[in-house]
Amino acid sequence: MQLSPRREVGEFRKRYKWMALTAIVVFSLLVGRMAQLQLVQYDEWARIARENITKTISLPATRGILRDARGRIIAENRPSYVVYLTPQLLAPEDVARVAELMNLDEAERAALQRRLDEIPSHRRTHQIEMFGDIDREQLAALETHRTDLPGVDVVPKPARTYPYGHLGAHAVGYLNEVSAEDLERLGADAGYRAGDVIGRMGVEKGWEAYLRGHRGYRRVLVDARGRRQREARGFGIAHEEVEPPTPGHDLVLTLDMELMTSIERAFAGHPSGSVVVVDVNSGRVRALYSKPSYNVNSLVAGMPQADYAALRDDPFRPLIDKTIYESYFPGSTFKPFSALAALDQPGFDPNHRVECIGYYQIGTDRKRCTSAHGEVDMRHALVQSCNTYFYVLAERVGLEPINTWARRFGFGERTGVGINSEARGFLATREWYTEHFGRFRVGDTMNTAIGQGNTRATLLQLALSYGALANGGTLYRPQLIESIREADGTLVEELPPQVARRIAIPEEHAQIIASGLFGAVNEQSGTAYEARVVGGTVVAAGKTGTAEIQRGSTRRDLDPRRAWYFQRSHAWFAGYAPASDPEVAIVVLVEHGGGGGRAAAPIALRVLQDYLGERTSVSPPATSPATSSTPRTNAARTTSTSASEGR
Amino acid sequence: MATVRTFRDQFDWPLFVATCAIAVLGVVNLYSATSASGALSEAYLQQIYWLTLGAGVATLVAAIDYRHYERNAWIIYGGGIALLLLVFLLGTSIRGSTRWINLGGFSLQPSETAKICLIIALAKYLHHDPKTEGRTLKDLVIPGLILALPMGLILLQPDLGTGLLCMFVFGTIMVLTKLKIRSLVTLALAFVFSAPLAWNYALHGYQKNRVLAFWAQLMGEADDRIIRTIGWHSHQSQVAIGSGGFWGKGFMQGTQNQFRFLPDQHSDFPFAVWAEEQGFVGTLLLIGLYAFVVVWGLRIASTAKDRFGAVTAVGVTALVFWQAVINLGMVSGVLPVVGVTLPLFSYGGSSVLTLMIGIGLLMNVSMRRFSF
Repeated sequence: MQLSPRREVGEFRKRYKWMALTAIVVFSLLVGRMAQLQLVQYDEWARIARENITKTISLPATRGILRDARGRIIAENRPSYVVYLTPQLLAPEDVARVAELMNLDEAERAALQRRLDEIPSHRRTHQIEMFGDIDREQLAALETHRTDLPGVDVVPKPARTYPYGHLGAHAVGYLNEVSAEDLERLGADAGYRAGDVIGRMGVEKGWEAYLRGHRGYRRVLVDARGRRQREARGFGIAHEEVEPPTPGHDLVLTLDMELMTSIERAFAGHPSGSVVVVDVNSGRVRALYSKPSYNVNSLVAGMPQADYAALRDDPFRPLIDKTIYESYFPGSTFKPFSALAALDQPGFDPNHRVECIGYYQIGTDRKRCTSAHGEVDMRHALVQSCNTYFYVLAERVGLEPINTWARRFGFGERTGVGINSEARGFLATREWYTEHFGRFRVGDTMNTAIGQGNTRATLLQLALSYGALANGGTLYRPQLIESIREADGTLVEELPPQVARRIAIPEEHAQIIASGLFGAVNEQSGTAYEARVVGGTVVAAGKTGTAEIQRGSTRRDLDPRRAWYFQRSHAWFAGYAPASDPEVAIVVLVEHGGGGGRAAAPIALRVLQDYLGERTSVSPPATSPATSSTPRTNAARTTSTSASEGR
Repeated sequence: MATVRTFRDQFDWPLFVATCAIAVLGVVNLYSATSASGALSEAYLQQIYWLTLGAGVATLVAAIDYRHYERNAWIIYGGGIALLLLVFLLGTSIRGSTRWINLGGFSLQPSETAKICLIIALAKYLHHDPKTEGRTLKDLVIPGLILALPMGLILLQPDLGTGLLCMFVFGTIMVLTKLKIRSLVTLALAFVFSAPLAWNYALHGYQKNRVLAFWAQLMGEADDRIIRTIGWHSHQSQVAIGSGGFWGKGFMQGTQNQFRFLPDQHSDFPFAVWAEEQGFVGTLLLIGLYAFVVVWGLRIASTAKDRFGAVTAVGVTALVFWQAVINLGMVSGVLPVVGVTLPLFSYGGSSVLTLMIGIGLLMNVSMRRFSF
């Protein structure tokens, strides 16, 4: 075979060495790069590799349950079901299938498709929450077809439910999902995530930290598509790491929902107002009732915009907590404090009589009284709610002492109840009048004395101050939570009553006030006498009030045909019962209810009868005034004595 | 001939052992790399079949004196070109590029075999064109055309990786010859100026994305979005290599591999699997083997008795070198991701066959260094 002649290879000779050298250098550089990755940066890459295959599934904590003082459930968690979709695993016909099973209408279908389309590609392998709290039929339909729809997951998730619905809504509050702004405001340390719920009002908001608990975690192995790997296959990583969630604490509230129910019943005839009942010996709040209210369950589920707007624009202001958030002119319910200020003045004689001719002339100004009461002393002035007596009293005492005494009883300062942006209330000073009206007039003091000046108080403040009148001068801090318990019922902390202040009230002064309050309810001339419960067994004491509405304070957007109503006075009753040995103080406000004796007192007396009546009838004789010897009941006993004297 | 050399003396054992080592490690690695994906779990068997076939072909290639190839070089070259043209007529398209011809049971990738045809054609040309003085640009026109024909067809498929590879092999062979400095400078300038043109007109969107992602990662500017989209492959590959550490995670224990974070773990990224499971020790071993084959290949070229043998040996060596370097560079994040496989280590029939033919040629040249 003839093969080609050999050719000269010398031309290439000297280049092989350089080539080999170059190759070795290049491979060395590659080894260097590998060393950089595998030796120098090992920790970092190992961490990323570990993160790649572990997915942390958060386990939501069960929120604490709210109970009332008698153990009735106010807020609990009910099982609900949430639908997650994994877009990656959903064929177009699956989406239509889901829509059909969920019984969605056209608009909802379009919304679903739009939401699915908006999901960025790198999130398409994730489970995305699409529907919250589906109903039974939807659940049944989806569960039946679960195996055909791998991209659909139905996951149980507890939902908050409030058996009492609208009753006590403002005090109890409600939950809903945290918003983007909340997350930003709370910061990462707070541990909230999108989809979490947060307390929005009342105890749910104020005690959020106790109620929510701590979320748990479950770390699972996943592949690149996010699919769970059930087999551990020994990758040197714990297959599943679980940190169970810590449930939130249960709270026992001081509220009594049966009392709330009875208030609701007694308030049936009036569209708006509020009631506070506190325990005079502990400051425990037994009732916080604000009318009209709204069903908190509907807010949890997410209220339609139109419904919410209707609530917001309702002239009776259902969204406002009228017990704590709103403050009012206390009207005549303020008179006992003016009286105490006067009694404190050296040489003031409560038995001195003032003649009431139906008005009081001061310069050119004629200040009105409710009627011509004739000659009244302090006790009778309280019984009959005589303004004239208090005009004269105010002239003599002056503004400062009245404010001082009011302040001692907690007016003008927050009670510290801890929920719902409590109003401070207001006590107008001489300087304030000068600043706002150019000058200070004696008429301002007179108005203050009868609760018509610029003094403002919340119902809770007033209830606590009447509690202090009833118990001989101990002003308590309001207590809304009685105890904190673990989910299994074990006690974490019993919250003791807290005294805000002890007010030194000379016994004889206390007697005069107590006697006046007793008379107002139980004497024929008393302003609340007509309101007594027929056949009632509970003897209450208290003060009515009729607070005029300031001109211009009503809303301008009202229907003129209804405007007259909103010009009507607010009706008040503040008092306590039983008169002989007070247990609870009550404040009732009927907004635009007219006269306190006619509108508010019947509600208060009815509620007190319902609440205490049963217990009084079964209570042992030991609580009767005759055997009681505590100084507090002394005052009360004297009250009843003086009442019989006055008759 | 003063001494009678036996086959045992002539046979190039180091080349044989190194080649076998790479191939065996490749099969072992492939077993792990594809164990997690059901569809490919038989790939290691396929690879064994191909390697066996390849060994047969290589034996055949080595047995026939390479001067026969020199004689029929243009026919071989023409055959290669014909196969490339067939792709456009009969080719099946996978992921947007048409690279495969279906031949009954298996598919052939003519761009792979074209690399060998190109080497033989260039060897043939240089064999008949000895020069003692430096070559000018004019001398490069014909070899340039020899390159341009197959490379153009390959780029049309499009298969950027193989196209570039042809260019690099061509470049290496031309460096072997003496080029005038002026020619070198002109070529370099031409390359620099053609780059932006290529960027704007020749590259596809996904190819540009890969380069951009590579650049961003190299500069440490890659954010999560880039990593999650266009830089995903390169990122996960580096995670696999880096997390292997010194000793590796152990055979079948690579989480990046087993949990399918590595794309194309059998064809383009088998090294990442290897490095993850065998660690730096394994990395060193494998890169060492490639370095050995390359240096040994150059040694074979230097002992070749004629220019055709020398150029063929250098061409095959250059092919192994560039494929290894580009693949290792791209899996370790120092080069953009182009579809270049790791010689004999990656899964792929045509690739294995081509490289076995190449090794056969090397063996051929090596065994005939004493003859004539």
